[in-house]
Amino acid sequence: MWRDASLYSRGFFVGRKFTRAGRQLFCVIYFLACYGAVQAAAAVPRQTPGFKRAMKVVTDETGRRVAIPFSVQRIVTLAPDLTETVYALGLEGKLAADTTFCDTPAAAKLKPHIGSPQTPSLEAIVAMHPDLVLATTSINRPETVDALLRLGISVYTSDPHTVRGMLDSIARMADLMGANEQGVGLVAQLQARLDAVHSRIAELPLVHVLFVVWEDPLITIGQNTFIADALRWAGAESVIVADQNYPQVSMEEIVRLQPEYILFTGNHAESNDDHELSRLRTRPAWKALKAIQMGHIVQVDDEITKPSPGLVGAIEQIARELHPGVFSSDGRGESIELQGGVTAEIFANMLWERERDFCAL
Amino acid sequence: MRPLTPQRILGICALLCGVLFAVCVVSLRMGAYPISVRDILSTLFNAAAGRREEIPVEFWQVVFGLRLPRIALGILVGASLSTAGAGFQALLRNPLADPYVLGVSSGAALGAIVSLIVAPHTVGAIQIAAFVGAASTIAAVYFLGRRGGQLDSPTLLLAGIVAASFLSAIIMFLLTMVTGSELRSIAFWLMGDLTAPPPTTNVLGWLGFLFFVFIVAAGAMYTTSSDLNLILTGEQEAKHLGVNVNRVKFVVYIAASVLTGLAVSVSGAIGYVGLLVPHVMRMLFGTDYRMLIPTAAIGGAIAIVLADTLARTVVAPTELPVGAMTALAGAPVFIYLMRRRMR
Repeated sequence: MWRDASLYSRGFFVGRKFTRAGRQLFCVIYFLACYGAVQAAAAVPRQTPGFKRAMKVVTDETGRRVAIPFSVQRIVTLAPDLTETVYALGLEGKLAADTTFCDTPAAAKLKPHIGSPQTPSLEAIVAMHPDLVLATTSINRPETVDALLRLGISVYTSDPHTVRGMLDSIARMADLMGANEQGVGLVAQLQARLDAVHSRIAELPLVHVLFVVWEDPLITIGQNTFIADALRWAGAESVIVADQNYPQVSMEEIVRLQPEYILFTGNHAESNDDHELSRLRTRPAWKALKAIQMGHIVQVDDEITKPSPGLVGAIEQIARELHPGVFSSDGRGESIELQGGVTAEIFANMLWERERDFCAL
Repeated sequence: MRPLTPQRILGICALLCGVLFAVCVVSLRMGAYPISVRDILSTLFNAAAGRREEIPVEFWQVVFGLRLPRIALGILVGASLSTAGAGFQALLRNPLADPYVLGVSSGAALGAIVSLIVAPHTVGAIQIAAFVGAASTIAAVYFLGRRGGQLDSPTLLLAGIVAASFLSAIIMFLLTMVTGSELRSIAFWLMGDLTAPPPTTNVLGWLGFLFFVFIVAAGAMYTTSSDLNLILTGEQEAKHLGVNVNRVKFVVYIAASVLTGLAVSVSGAIGYVGLLVPHVMRMLFGTDYRMLIPTAAIGGAIAIVLADTLARTVVAPTELPVGAMTALAGAPVFIYLMRRRMR
């Protein structure tokens, strides 16, 4: 097949007297095509029509200037933490749709879905007639937000990097959704719980921990993530200092640093601490960690992975586990729901992306 | 063997254009937002007649804001990649050549990653940086791939492959520096992604510009098509028959590289189409480049529009990367054609 090219084909259709004329014809056709393209570009109207509604212009947390209606009746969330915030504010009646990842609270699973946070269907979002779409930098892609804004849909993007940033973000979003009072109330209540934790552990030294995002390869958190900040609120500090958000670190480094506690998220949901511990004790490098030998491992609530109101519960849990001395007296233990699944999914997704980067090259 | 006539080429191209149009209509119809064919046609009709106010806002958003630009971009990318693939296969005289074999996609990826590190969240930065990266790679490989002042196919191939692996190594190093959200953008970009919004608000102008570049590059390649037929039988033979082999190689190299760079910078590295569509078209319509270049261009457009439609609808409302879909849907078709030909 490869060598079939025929010898009669020298010149453009010599037999049919098409040689020079053929090339000239092509030139004319290009010319017309280019002219047509330019004309079409000039002739057709450009922008999509805006909503004829009262709008206010706000600057979101990524610096985009966006117009948002004064009265927000239909909300679409693009991330599980945003869904949780909407529920915590008592605005579930206005939530038109969320993502396939949203499972907290359980009722969120019953809402219509517009796809996963990273590859939502823009059409499905349009079909929901949203007044406001909430996005977050922690899982959504900026391309999604830009595309929605192009369509004239109001999008507010939150960008929390700290626990306080999360609280501010909640207050701002509550205000945009017309729930200023609920927002202020929720933030005050969460802040009070944080202060209560802080007052107990403020005098204690920080506990050095390893926060395990993924076990093999070992991926942990960087210092700029809200998880690192949440750990500080809980009186702990990651032994790894890195500028990347989710750095991959070598086991040797961990053995050298010898963290006092190892924190896992609930993505090993089915196993309990003891089971986890016995499993890790059989693994060569992990065996060498003093924290493993002493049984210092903590399964942290999944909520730690989301900058949402549930994060405060996770902070309380970590603080109790790492500083049993100051918390033992009162036996106050808010029941913390464990939701398996979402963390595994987020981190699996993240990891899959990393892997894919390398495969795709 | 029947001689190839202009009529036959035009006829087959018209037929393929008909298929492309049908695929586009199907693609316009399908999606997470339900629109009937009647609504689509009336929307198109109203838009053509300039009666914007009669179109419901959402129809406008879905048809003109989302589906049509995506289809147009798909046509452009598919046609570019497939034409470039056909060009490289002739230039390197290697059936395994695809648009990315000479490292253009790695250069573009490097440019994209650098832009994400230097200027994240800047609309259009990725596309521009990717094109700069692709163009630099094209130039570097061109100078590395010459022997005795002339483009030498084996040297060019080796230079391209070495450049690709070198750039990939740099990319892997840089990827460790990129943080979460940028990593996400780059991952989707590397997979091939038609959803990224264009860098300007004037979408039509942008698409018009891209099509202009495509027409110029593909047209330049087409002027060499009869010479390519001869070069494929052997460079010496072609020289003896009066073909200016060096000029032809230069034109094909530049045209194919520009087409690849163009496609990669707007949509990321969509694999598979550039390799297989030219082969499919050879199986269907013969190996003559005067026929192959236009049919490959239209065939590539059909392939990408189909793949993207599937990517949008298979697991709706979530969307798959189009790059995954091209291989998934294309491989069985290719194997079927290949086996049938062997019988």
